[in-house]
Amino acid sequence: MRKVIVIAVREYQAAVKTKAFIISILAMPVFMGGSIAVQALMRDKVDTTDKRIAVLDQTGRLYDLIVEASLKRDQTIVFKGEGAERKKVKPRYLIEKASVSSDDRERITFELSEQVRNAEIFAFAIMGPDVIEPGDDPLRARVAYHSNTPTYDNFQNWLERVINRHTHELRFQAVNVEPAVVAQAIRPVQVANLGLVSLDEEGRITKAEETNRIANFLIPMGMMMLMFMVVLVAASPLMQSVLEEKMQRIAEVLLGSITPFQLMMGKLLGIVGVSLTMATIYLVGAFYAIHETGFGQFFPKHLVWWFVVFQVMAVLLYGSVFAAIGAAVSDMKEAQNLMTPVMLVVIAPMFVWLNVVKEPLSTSSMVMSLIPPATPMLMILRQAVPPGIPIWQTLLGIVLVIATTIVCVFAAGRIFRVGILMQGKGANLGEMIRWAIRG
Amino acid sequence: MNNTTNVVEIQSISKTFRKHVAVDDLSLSVPKGSIYGFIGPNGSGKTTTLRMIMRIYHPDSGGGHIRVLGKESFQAANDRIGYLPEERGLYKKMKVRDILRFYAELKGRRDFKETVGNWLQRMNLSDCANNKVETLSKGMAQKVQFIAAVIAEPELVILDEPFTGLDPVNADVLREAVLDLRRRGSTVIFSTHDMSVAEKMCDFIFMIFKGRKVLDGTLESIQHKYGEDTVRVSVEGNGYSPHTISGVERVTDFGHVQELRIAPGTDTQDLLGALMRQGNVMHFELAHPSLHDIFVRIAGPEADKDAAGLETLTAEEPADA
Repeated sequence: MRKVIVIAVREYQAAVKTKAFIISILAMPVFMGGSIAVQALMRDKVDTTDKRIAVLDQTGRLYDLIVEASLKRDQTIVFKGEGAERKKVKPRYLIEKASVSSDDRERITFELSEQVRNAEIFAFAIMGPDVIEPGDDPLRARVAYHSNTPTYDNFQNWLERVINRHTHELRFQAVNVEPAVVAQAIRPVQVANLGLVSLDEEGRITKAEETNRIANFLIPMGMMMLMFMVVLVAASPLMQSVLEEKMQRIAEVLLGSITPFQLMMGKLLGIVGVSLTMATIYLVGAFYAIHETGFGQFFPKHLVWWFVVFQVMAVLLYGSVFAAIGAAVSDMKEAQNLMTPVMLVVIAPMFVWLNVVKEPLSTSSMVMSLIPPATPMLMILRQAVPPGIPIWQTLLGIVLVIATTIVCVFAAGRIFRVGILMQGKGANLGEMIRWAIRG
Repeated sequence: MNNTTNVVEIQSISKTFRKHVAVDDLSLSVPKGSIYGFIGPNGSGKTTTLRMIMRIYHPDSGGGHIRVLGKESFQAANDRIGYLPEERGLYKKMKVRDILRFYAELKGRRDFKETVGNWLQRMNLSDCANNKVETLSKGMAQKVQFIAAVIAEPELVILDEPFTGLDPVNADVLREAVLDLRRRGSTVIFSTHDMSVAEKMCDFIFMIFKGRKVLDGTLESIQHKYGEDTVRVSVEGNGYSPHTISGVERVTDFGHVQELRIAPGTDTQDLLGALMRQGNVMHFELAHPSLHDIFVRIAGPEADKDAAGLETLTAEEPADA
């Protein structure tokens, strides 16, 4: 056992003392913080160049209303701040009558398109004569908006809102209905997302708190992503480290002092240490960050121990597979080929996590979270979504994962024993399976 | 010979990789406290045999057995054995001092601080104790590896080509260290391609060729088997062409000196007369064949013609160490 620990300590130091580890530890918060900061900065850094838009209104009743709405928009949202602070934060929409020399719809469209191409105007909209009273044909109610920048939809959305509001009003007026009455009649009803109420110490019924959708969503996601990161950063380098020992003939020297199984167990213990170091740094960091921002009550303290158990299992499970691959192959290229299917298994929970978060108690979520390679990530995800899951499911998951981990470590140990001393061509999957079964 | 004095006892073992027979029905015994040299061409089975002694490889199942340090149990891991593999064997990113500490700990040593320092000083490596292995030259890395093999003062040291790639100064340092190990009571087995090293250092020489033992014994006993069939000469003169002289079977030219192998029954006085007729004889010495010559006779191109080269030439009673 002493020797296993000697190996583990070396493995741990070799992993943790590298620049790559420190960088990867820092990378995630920097990336996340950075992307939030960039988004915050970019919010006010939009293009504020005014947009000249030509409008051809064949109804004759909408043009003035659109101009009026654009002027009102200038007053309300285009400029922000007061006095000297006042500055333009959005582009103005400069509405103008389309100047055309024809009555033919196709000809008009062409002329206006040319104007867009010549940068005389930014875009143009054509309202057919029947937009307000289209009868039964929805196509006649359609407004044609043409531009050379199809991805810029801000104006299109604004115009749609303005036209709809005014056509509705005009249609109500046509049948003598007061628009205010209609507004009253179609006022929307809100459905609030609330938690459960309970009794406080004095026996009074507490007030239901409005649930925090973001917290309910982000915490489980964060837990799962952390699990994923830890497996990736701690377990996958094991393959390279085993490959180095094999290629540099270090394994031969080591095997003069310890058995192959001891060597592998030592290395696995080492990376479990690495993963616990990582998880501690992140969990403490996350706790501090959440606490400081006043969301302390959302930190899932009750899940930390479950997280550690699942994480250790995941690292052992995937670590043993990576170690076996490292021992079986003879160069990085062969290793990458064998890595791909394993990585797909590691990533698989990422494809289903959204469904699992929305319905953590559904049968499919339960079944998926009980498939051992996915259990560590999906089970912690389900546990983190209120109100949690029945304890028997968690325990069953742990039992299955432990059983699978034992099988994996055992099989990997056999592959490791044969592969680590084999030089020349690496093994293929079939050979690896044969070694694992026959020993 | 009494079994208890043998550190390694191998009885007719074989090792087959897929269809390739690497080691074929091999037996040998290494007496305690001796320096035992393995020679043989590349790919002849030296490393495989050493690995079997290390219990890294298991021999094919069959009648044979390997007994190392009196034990027959087949499990790798023995703190009483030190091993230096052929080239490499070090973590590139580790510091020299750390890696030596690691290997010492792995062998169960706890009081290694002073030992590591002493060895580094002895091998002229004190200045690079805190350098990473990847910054070392090949010779320096070789010395570090050697220290790693002997740091735990093993009873048996197995060195796979320890002198390859060393300059003469470093080779001397290492040779001195190996002799020192023996003085302290360790048994040393090493493989080498350098015949002069084997001749000068080894108490016993063991040659393996195509997986089979072809030589085993002291240098004298091996040379004795071949008899005094070699003449070492140095002749000056334009007409000098020794291979034209009758009775000369083979000429090995070392430049200033030639080794002539003579047919059995050739009169050496006649040979000397013939040489004197060809030029000015500066040196004429009747000798046993050198180990180099014996090696070439067994494994060289002419060995194919000479089937007798594969015959096992074991000294029946090797002289006691």
